[in-house]
Amino acid sequence: MNFVVIGGDAAGMSAASRAKRNRPDLNVIVFEQTRDVSYSA
Amino acid sequence: MVRRAEAFRAKQGIDLRTGHRVEVIDRKRRVVQGATREGQGFTQPYDRLLIATGAAAVNPALPGADLPGVHRLKTLEDGRRIKALLSGGGVRRVIVLGMGYVAMEMVESLRALDIEVDMLKPGPAFMPWLAPELASVVHAELGANGIGVHTGLRPQRIEAAGGGLAVVCPDATLSGQMVLAAVGVAPRSGLAQEAGLALSVANSIAVDPTLRTSDPDIFGAGDCADAYHVVTGRKTWIPLALRANRTGWAVADNVCGETVALHGVAGTAVFRVFGLEVARTGLNIAEAGEAGFEPVEATITSSTKAHSFPGASALWVSAVGDRKKGRLLGMQIVGREGAAHRINGAAVALHAGLTVAQFFQADLAYAPPFGPAWDPMLTCAGQLLKKM
Repeated sequence: MNFVVIGGDAAGMSAASRAKRNRPDLNVIVFEQTRDVSYSA
Repeated sequence: MVRRAEAFRAKQGIDLRTGHRVEVIDRKRRVVQGATREGQGFTQPYDRLLIATGAAAVNPALPGADLPGVHRLKTLEDGRRIKALLSGGGVRRVIVLGMGYVAMEMVESLRALDIEVDMLKPGPAFMPWLAPELASVVHAELGANGIGVHTGLRPQRIEAAGGGLAVVCPDATLSGQMVLAAVGVAPRSGLAQEAGLALSVANSIAVDPTLRTSDPDIFGAGDCADAYHVVTGRKTWIPLALRANRTGWAVADNVCGETVALHGVAGTAVFRVFGLEVARTGLNIAEAGEAGFEPVEATITSSTKAHSFPGASALWVSAVGDRKKGRLLGMQIVGREGAAHRINGAAVALHAGLTVAQFFQADLAYAPPFGPAWDPMLTCAGQLLKKM
């Protein structure tokens, strides 16, 4: 199953990390338009 | 805190593609499409999709807002650019448009670099969401730290002037070498809107307590999505970091087959402005009135430590209750210490739906270094009870 995330900041990376931890077989793909991910804004 | 994309790929097995901008959500084909920074197109099929596009700083709608030297602070890239300009030494005075959380945090950093600061806003009231007595304490703190605070000044245009910039208002012109615009944020919900998903308060993406949008295979989380307010039960849009993290987790669980439903937000927030902590949770009196309550407000001044204890300073607390059902609706605290964490007690009370009378019964901690025997929140609740 493909779980696709648009946005690699707090919400997006929290979801991606936890989904992969919950289910390592999941295909987790994150698209982030900048070159930075998950900073504390 | 920036984490490297490689760390996510290698350690967590997440296929993280930075520099990839999604431009279209095609719900019929269940794909997202976009382009890389290099202009290469991509298409990615999804079974479940999360929109976590955040919020964007609002552009001031002013002629001259696109001049060099006018900046917004939202992304890390904005921050790096502004920091580089400030460290160049050519910026001696900055004009800040706006007086919200971001503006307050900016002016403190600017003063630390010994840069002169003027702040302006069109509205006549300084921090109108804060109880007047508390707002005047914050106002005085800015003044004591040399910040020019100009309420009721509506900028008409920004001009290049004498090698710097001028913000022109009807009755005044403020000059400096940089203009920082902090006039608010708006949800980045364009992708969702174009895909035909329902929008909500302030154009945020409408989500249910499980974070599903109007398409059950598409979730919304973080600053781009709405939330239920625990006091009003209505939809609201209060973009803050804890909610972003929490909604991300809940989406992951719901994608993986569990059912996680979130209660909502109380609008609990805190920021520091120079030596002051400013904290709030729930509704202020105006919001409570708009939500249909019959609100009553009490404001007290207490102390950060027991009276005999050295180093005590004033702590201001304001609380709002509903005369009809007696419920506690909100609280605000300002002081040099003891405001930020104290507010969390009130926030939990709002989640629990306590009445002011029940909150007044709470057994709160006491020792002389931390406050009076009657915690200032209790003193305030006691005063509020008398008015209800």
